[in-house]
Amino acid sequence: MPLMIPCPNCGPRPYGEFWCSGELPDGGHGGAASNLEADYARVWLKRNVAGPQPERWFHHAGCRRWLAIRRNTLSNVVDGND
Amino acid sequence: MFSRSFKYRRRRGLYCLTGDCPNCLVTVDGEPAVRACVTPARAGQRVARRPGWPSPDSDIVGGIRLLKPLLPVGFYYKTFIRPKWVWRMVEPAIRRLAGVGPVPKDLPPGSRERRSHHPDVLVIGGGVAGLAAALTAAESGGSVLLVDEGRLGDKVAPGPTRSAIDRLADQARAHPEITILEVATAVGLYEGPLVPVNAPDALHLVFAGRVVVATGAVELHAVFPGADLPGVWLGRGAARMAGSHGMAPGRVAVFAGETDESLHHLETIRASGVTVAAALVPSGLADRVPEGVRTIVSGRVTSADGRRRVVAATVESPSGRERIACDTVILSLGLVPRDSLLRQSQGSEAIGAGDVVLAGADLETSMASGRSAGAGTPGGRREVSLPPPCRGGFVCPCEDVELGDLDLAWAEGYQSTELLKRYSTVTMGPCQGALCHAHLRSFVKARGGDELRTGATTARPPARPVKLEDIAAGARYPLEYHTGLHERHLELGGIMEWAGAWKRPESYGDPLAEYWAVRKDVSIMDVGTLGKYRVTGPDATEFLERLYPCHVATIAPGKSRYAVLLNEAGYLFDDGMICALGAGDYYLTLTSGGADAAESWLREWAETWGLEVHIINQTTTLGAINVAGPAARRLLSRLSTDPLEAAAFPYAQHRRITVAGVSCLAMRVGFTGELSYELHHPRLAGRALWDALLEAGRDLGIRPHGLAALRLLRLEKAHIIVNQDTDFDSTPAKLGLDWAVKLDKPFFVGKPALQRIATLERQKGLLQFTFPGPDTPAEGAQLLGADGTHLGYLTSARFSPVLGHGVALGWVRKHNGEWPGTIVAHDGGDRRFQGTVTTGAFYDSSGARLRA
Repeated sequence: MPLMIPCPNCGPRPYGEFWCSGELPDGGHGGAASNLEADYARVWLKRNVAGPQPERWFHHAGCRRWLAIRRNTLSNVVDGND
Repeated sequence: MFSRSFKYRRRRGLYCLTGDCPNCLVTVDGEPAVRACVTPARAGQRVARRPGWPSPDSDIVGGIRLLKPLLPVGFYYKTFIRPKWVWRMVEPAIRRLAGVGPVPKDLPPGSRERRSHHPDVLVIGGGVAGLAAALTAAESGGSVLLVDEGRLGDKVAPGPTRSAIDRLADQARAHPEITILEVATAVGLYEGPLVPVNAPDALHLVFAGRVVVATGAVELHAVFPGADLPGVWLGRGAARMAGSHGMAPGRVAVFAGETDESLHHLETIRASGVTVAAALVPSGLADRVPEGVRTIVSGRVTSADGRRRVVAATVESPSGRERIACDTVILSLGLVPRDSLLRQSQGSEAIGAGDVVLAGADLETSMASGRSAGAGTPGGRREVSLPPPCRGGFVCPCEDVELGDLDLAWAEGYQSTELLKRYSTVTMGPCQGALCHAHLRSFVKARGGDELRTGATTARPPARPVKLEDIAAGARYPLEYHTGLHERHLELGGIMEWAGAWKRPESYGDPLAEYWAVRKDVSIMDVGTLGKYRVTGPDATEFLERLYPCHVATIAPGKSRYAVLLNEAGYLFDDGMICALGAGDYYLTLTSGGADAAESWLREWAETWGLEVHIINQTTTLGAINVAGPAARRLLSRLSTDPLEAAAFPYAQHRRITVAGVSCLAMRVGFTGELSYELHHPRLAGRALWDALLEAGRDLGIRPHGLAALRLLRLEKAHIIVNQDTDFDSTPAKLGLDWAVKLDKPFFVGKPALQRIATLERQKGLLQFTFPGPDTPAEGAQLLGADGTHLGYLTSARFSPVLGHGVALGWVRKHNGEWPGTIVAHDGGDRRFQGTVTTGAFYDSSGARLRA
């Protein structure tokens, strides 16, 4: 399937209008880690999921807002939109 | 003769007229390699053949094939290897000889657009099957995009197929759900599926729900000695010429037909006035050959004879061998699927319909196959029957590969389709194997190649020739950014260079004079490219405290602070000023290059923390002019009545002042190292302000400065430029910017990372160096220690006119636990420079000048 990102403000739009900030770590973006080692893991150790993965995208050519989606990295099917 | 072949410059005539062969490539309006048969003619078009010497008709290089014994297959792998200089000498000559015409150098740059489509179904190919697929898909309510590389029906000669196409095309055009793009070529099939479609108006990027490939079949290419002479035609090409264009493809023809459709071609060709000297058909078709045509059953053409064009054909049949005088040989020997798009698809991304899967299907079968594919079921199972092995002649007319070349390559051990392809370049020409692919497989099979070695070669985009310029369509977007002063720069002779997405003046012709204007007198620079943000709201202070590693709450209104931005890994990615305008009201500047990304950064954290802040990107709505130099205050005082002296408006503060009637946020900043006022103003007032400053400063020696001068000015102050002097792992400590980071703050983005990194010994740092001059090492020069150990490299280096020696910044690592005190810069060749490590600004280290 073509990668269309469901933007809550603009509707489904092609992914070229967005920037992807990569997978979301446990606890979400900007989540606090309990100690420095855990913070290191949060920043650097990506899970690189083959399957549904939570991600954040920035709609730079649209509403210029961030959105969170769950995208299947194998099929590009977006099956969640928070 | 229509064109010359790619390698040997053989004379070639029209051949397929279906967009597949390389024979109709011409130069149209200066653009080489245009396929004449699928390019509509326009009035005023300038069409030329590839130039030859002395003329296209009698090209002396055509004799190059006489040197064939010297030009074996794999020529480049065997010749000019040693000594190396030989290749450098002959390459220019070979480059001139090869190819299909000179690349135009003086055409204006294209301004083609890129457009996106998101149909439910994309149908590639507007023949019977494609149209049937499109109609079926549209009937079930989906949106359909149908593309064809020519105009619908154009390539098909009049007859039952053409009538069916015309009828279906009318229905399709009338259907609201079907969009048709004509003269639009599907270039490739990519993951997604994404199909780039190249049309005259734009490069269309089609992101389709599913793709139906109905690209049909191409008539089996004939391989026998003389088969590439002008006068040899494929049946569909000759029939199109005769039926659609009303031109007889020749006077006397030998016709060979193996398929049902070939009998239609025979009829069409005869109707145009061609005398058919003999028709070679299998016994099954013999009784359908029209009355009065000499029929040779089970015969085949073994060679076409002639030097400049066909004068006779040699025919073998059970009744013997004979030479028949003719000027035309027309061959309709079977169909090979035009399936390179299908062969590009990995798995189930595209399904086929019509001839591309059922080569040679009749009209009804094609229609049914199309309907099936339109509904989502493959339109048939692909079965490719290989032609009988050829016995001589040009296998690949695009690349001029002869059977003998394949024989030699085989003897040298290249014994599979893929290896033969790479070694001999067979199938690698403009047609991407559309003509010769089946013959190549048949060649390997006849020599006992197993399934694997006989396999279809991998098809890769582009499936059809496409210009690089067309692929680059839209690459110029987003358009270059201009500040409001762009025209002024051009009028002043500014030499404009790219700086990120912006065009900025590198200099106005004399960077050294511009530099001295800043150091001695006064100068202005357009810094409207800076990222400019207004951040307000009840949580604005809290927001910036969390975002920046410096203290923000302590910036009193009216004051400014230099600040860096860190990512979560603790690495610096941007820097700029924070100006406190009032309570909970801030104005931020960020680097020109990172301004766009900075907005997403600000918004991401504002949203993540759920803070009540408003972020307004004013990058393009505000302009900014930096007025710098010892006479800056004198100049401004002529245009402003606001207090400007240091007591009322000190360094690192900002005021709202009116200059030449323009209300400006003026910031005293220090990037150049001189007294300077950065005037942020409404973009539309920029020109008036710029002009007023230049006018009022005329007797002060004012002149604008560009980036070249700025880079030197800031280097004398040892100020970094983010992305030039920084690396991807640049922590503030490595850059010597510890003072910009307050680890006593409870939190800021990147703080945990900096705390963790602080527990490790620092091995790398950005140091500054002086060199005696007058020569200085080039930027990027490698840095060596006293014992020759490699320590790092220079990121910035210039000769400082005011100091009289070289100044530089560069990355070095610790060596034997010590930071170096001296280094040797080595920038290639024999140039080596002894440098000394220093600290503090090179110029005016006390900062007295900028605080003046």
